[in-house]
Amino acid sequence: MMSSLYRAAKGALASRLPGRGLILAGLRDLRRRPWQSGLMVLGVALGVAVVIAIDLANGAARRGFELSTEAVVGRASHQIQGGPSGVPQEFYRRLRVDLGVRTSAPIVEGIVYARDFGDQPLRVLGVDPFAERPFRDYLAGMPGVSPGFEAFYLQSNAVLIGSPLASRWGLQPGGSFRVQANGRLVDLQVLGVVEPAGERDALALEDLLIMDVAGAQELLGMQGRLSRIDLILQPQEASALTAALPPGLRLKAASEQAQTATQLTEAFLLNLAALSLLALVVGMFLIYNTMTFSVVQRRQVFGTLRVLGATADQVFWVVLLEAAGASALGALLGVGLGWLLGQGAVGLVTQTINDLYFVLSVRQVTVTASTLVKAMVLGVGAGVLAAAVPALEAARVPPVTLFQRSSLEARARAAVWRLALAGVTLGGLGAAALAAFQSSLAAAFAGLFAILVGFALLVPALIVLLMRALGEPLGRALGFEGRMAARTIVGALSRTGVAVAALMVALAVTVGVSVMIESFRGTVVNWLELTLPADLYVTAPTAGGTRPSLSLPYALKGQLEAVPGVASVESFRSVQVEGPMGPVQLSVADARRRRDARLYRFAQGSPEAVWAQVQQGAVIVSEPFAYRHGIPPSGGEVTLYTDRGEHTFPVVAVYYDYSSDRGAVLMSENVYHQYWDDRSITSLAVYVSPGESIDFVADKLRRSLAGTGLTVLANRALREQALRIFDRTFAITAALRLLAVLVAFIGVLSALMALQLERSRELATLQALGLTPAGLWRLTLVETGLMGAAAGLFSWPAGLIMAAVLVYVINLRSFGWTLNLQLQPWILMQALAVGVAAALAAALYPTARLARMPISRALREE
Amino acid sequence: MRKVLVGLGLLLLAFWGSNRLLRAGGPQAQEAPAIRLAPTGEAPAFARVLEPRAFRFPQDHGPHPDFQTEWWYYIGNLQDAAGERFGFQLTFFRRALRPGSLNRPSGLAASQIYFAHFALTDVARQEHSSFERFSRGAGGLAGARGDPFSVWLEDWSVEALDALGERVRLRAQEGDFSLDLVLQAGKPLVAHGEAGLSRKSEEPGNASYYLSFTRMDAAGSLLVEGEKVEVTGQAWFDHEWSTSALGEQAVGWDWFGLQLDDGREIMLARIRRADGSLEPVSGGTLVEQDGSLIALSLDDVMFTPLGTWTSLRSGATYPLRWRVEIPAYGVDLTVEPLLEDQEMEVSVVYWEGAVEVKGESAGLPVGGQGYIELTGYAESIQGAF
Repeated sequence: MMSSLYRAAKGALASRLPGRGLILAGLRDLRRRPWQSGLMVLGVALGVAVVIAIDLANGAARRGFELSTEAVVGRASHQIQGGPSGVPQEFYRRLRVDLGVRTSAPIVEGIVYARDFGDQPLRVLGVDPFAERPFRDYLAGMPGVSPGFEAFYLQSNAVLIGSPLASRWGLQPGGSFRVQANGRLVDLQVLGVVEPAGERDALALEDLLIMDVAGAQELLGMQGRLSRIDLILQPQEASALTAALPPGLRLKAASEQAQTATQLTEAFLLNLAALSLLALVVGMFLIYNTMTFSVVQRRQVFGTLRVLGATADQVFWVVLLEAAGASALGALLGVGLGWLLGQGAVGLVTQTINDLYFVLSVRQVTVTASTLVKAMVLGVGAGVLAAAVPALEAARVPPVTLFQRSSLEARARAAVWRLALAGVTLGGLGAAALAAFQSSLAAAFAGLFAILVGFALLVPALIVLLMRALGEPLGRALGFEGRMAARTIVGALSRTGVAVAALMVALAVTVGVSVMIESFRGTVVNWLELTLPADLYVTAPTAGGTRPSLSLPYALKGQLEAVPGVASVESFRSVQVEGPMGPVQLSVADARRRRDARLYRFAQGSPEAVWAQVQQGAVIVSEPFAYRHGIPPSGGEVTLYTDRGEHTFPVVAVYYDYSSDRGAVLMSENVYHQYWDDRSITSLAVYVSPGESIDFVADKLRRSLAGTGLTVLANRALREQALRIFDRTFAITAALRLLAVLVAFIGVLSALMALQLERSRELATLQALGLTPAGLWRLTLVETGLMGAAAGLFSWPAGLIMAAVLVYVINLRSFGWTLNLQLQPWILMQALAVGVAAALAAALYPTARLARMPISRALREE
Repeated sequence: MRKVLVGLGLLLLAFWGSNRLLRAGGPQAQEAPAIRLAPTGEAPAFARVLEPRAFRFPQDHGPHPDFQTEWWYYIGNLQDAAGERFGFQLTFFRRALRPGSLNRPSGLAASQIYFAHFALTDVARQEHSSFERFSRGAGGLAGARGDPFSVWLEDWSVEALDALGERVRLRAQEGDFSLDLVLQAGKPLVAHGEAGLSRKSEEPGNASYYLSFTRMDAAGSLLVEGEKVEVTGQAWFDHEWSTSALGEQAVGWDWFGLQLDDGREIMLARIRRADGSLEPVSGGTLVEQDGSLIALSLDDVMFTPLGTWTSLRSGATYPLRWRVEIPAYGVDLTVEPLLEDQEMEVSVVYWEGAVEVKGESAGLPVGGQGYIELTGYAESIQGAF
């Protein structure tokens, strides 16, 4: 095959490309068969659309993130940061007054939730207008001091918002809205609406509340503290300043800051991109299928062309150019469609990022020139690649005018075993790639692709085997139609094989992704049971996921402990701290109660011993953390920058945790308080005294918390909420899975329709020989049903292999957590049902058309 | 009184100017976003200057937060051992966003905004350098205090070295320029107008409290383009606070603070109106050798511009050379700048610089030095509102 491709290419280079007339003939041909051409275009369009949609959504998310980083970082070259409680405000005074560092700006940042607007998370950016000038362009319009602007300084609830946000919420200058700010509900007043100067500013302002630094401190309960100090420094100034920093404060380059945050989402975005490519692969089957069919249909034409003097090379290129033309059209359509899909996808992608990583607000996807190029390269490339085999097939048509398709089918059947061998080899290579490149996520996806495609190459052989096995029993069960159906499928293997393979791949993707999601979900459900043992939980009713955002006052703990019926209250704090390894998610737990022993993956000593050590200053780390940072099962340590300076904590256990793919370090509260000044808490777990009604105590707690905006949740409700977020984060994955099925469905539809249309004469002959319309229906439905069922059946092993790779390799390499592969039979049954349904649906139109058509006309057709 | 207007107008101009400057977006100016502000409520009720008050010191050298605006103005002529001449200006402005103090949890919450100008004139090098700063009056970043007297904006500061605030230390630095001077009042405090109440117009409340040390001995060091020089000389201190606005016709003013060799000082202000006439409230104070004061009305003084200079930066043309006559007191002086380009490159462009004085005082030949301030030439104040 390669050598003929090579020859063809060489021939083409020797300027034996088809002339204009031949190309036009080819294109006319496309026009003459609008159904098939349309399907081919649609196949490319759908495949490209999915890739583009994800590409756009990912791009928008990345860009949104860059912009929002830029928005808050501005032109700062460096930042001074502290621990979770930030930088003492006094240090800013010292910096500006005593150290004379004047390109510095105090920043107080935080997240609040817009209660009036669906709990949308908003970023509070507290700034000092007098220090801002060198840093952030979109704040350049702040008047500093001018009539009407006094309230910015004087009113602790005055905010500036961007006009996109204002118009989305129908807010005017002077209007107000309510937010949940930590343990309080606060009415903020819109002092001004910032009209962004450009698209960049508009994105930057999308979810920003600009406040005076003092107002932000009060809103977020950060009196006396700053989130950070932005600086513009020359390198030598930076090193001088580093020397002047007290322990607990660090000088970081701003670029470093943006980088670490980008890395957070990289694995997630790569996973999406890879899944979207699967849709294109399914689309390639569709193109292959359509092109093969169109070649087969036009054998006579090609034979005639050859007789008229066209060379084999020229025929090859005509077919390839046809495919390229249709693919280009499809790719263009795909961009448009992808843009539309992208609008939805970007919402899902950013929702997930919001749930899991950080507040990000992107509402726009932008099609750039690079998107177009990508679409054309992928679309035309996939189209041409898929059409190469049919084009070779066409080039091989001998220069005679009459000729039989059966010769093609004979060759196809002969190729079955070679294909199967190639498939096994490819699959083997894929598996080898998985095993060989232990840590590469890209290699894992490449291996997965190879295995899937290898499996697809096996499909024709499997069909032959299956149909041979089924021929007899089917004949016994269904009589003539049963035997006939099995034989027809094998007889038209060049098309049926591809159709079944395409459907199989799509179904395998569904099975693989579904099993992975279900395994993940099951694992999380088990974990939630273990990790949420308290009766009641107090937290803010935010739509958010696992991002730490709340800072509730520590006094709340005592307040709730005083509520009658409460046995004990445990505080929990989730904060980001820094270490030499970068940002570290720190979970701070009230260590009075031991953790469930089943939560440990590796532990040094008994759970009791582990806990005793944790109370004395050791830490335990989550599985993704251990994976990411190469923490060994025993003897590991974690170094963190504390408010007292750098400190190394021994790691005494690795625990299961699915709340953060970045991983987390868990520390006892007494230890945290020893090393950090932060006394806030994120949430509270309440244990009810034995014999007390949980509902009754919950009511009392709610009364005690009146006006704070905090909610009291029973543990079951909290678990449900966690699972809702879990499901939401997989919404985009599920959507991709659906799209792959859609592409396959259309592929099967087109392949089977083509097959059935092509068989019109054969079927008409059968009808002429006495096949009743009912018999015709039976025959075609059995035939297509068999193909669907075959695809469904073949998708099981392929899907399970994919699931295993996703669970044990991809997830581990992306996020580092252990999942229990759980197989739920409904997933397999669903794949089978979808396969059969798709196949049957595909048979409806051609059969109905045939059944209506007079036999004589059907006999004349083709 | 005139300095009321000077300062006040400057403040307003500066606010407006900083607004415009900020909008220009700084160094990498792009089209900066505009902000639509909520309509303002009623104006806050600041105290007005209605009648003379009994001053207490050092407290009254400090801030008066119930009044909207206040400034502390230090200018002076200096020379080093070799006789090279220098001029300096260090001024702190306070602007209240609302009267009184705040009671808010955040230490950065501010009801006062401070800004300051710092300028050095190097006569030998023919260089004038000016700098500007803004800050909220909170968190220790900027502020003022009466007892002991001090006013500061970051590391630009005035600090009393004695209990009464008659001896102060001035410090400021920016890049290759700095100033570190000790000033000692050489004559009693001057209360301009009616015992310190300096009227701006017939309308009650349109006035300021205006105090000066018209002659302070100065000694210390300057850093001029990285070069340190030890200097001595004579300085002038103005302190003024009020809650008023300029008259509607005012477009600018010319202010003179002259220290004569015979021991007299003269403060004069002429407020120019759009129609070319002068505000009738223009005038000044003549301080005698013994510290006794003579109030001067517009009728007492004749101003004759003798020459102008045009700034290539701003395009403004300033009347830099003057003849000033006060016939009733035998005063006939010509005022010459030590350097033409002493234009302040700050949010609002104005001219403020060291001058040399020659002529007659009490009918006898006299020399002297001083500072003059010329505003409203780069842009009309009226255009700002």
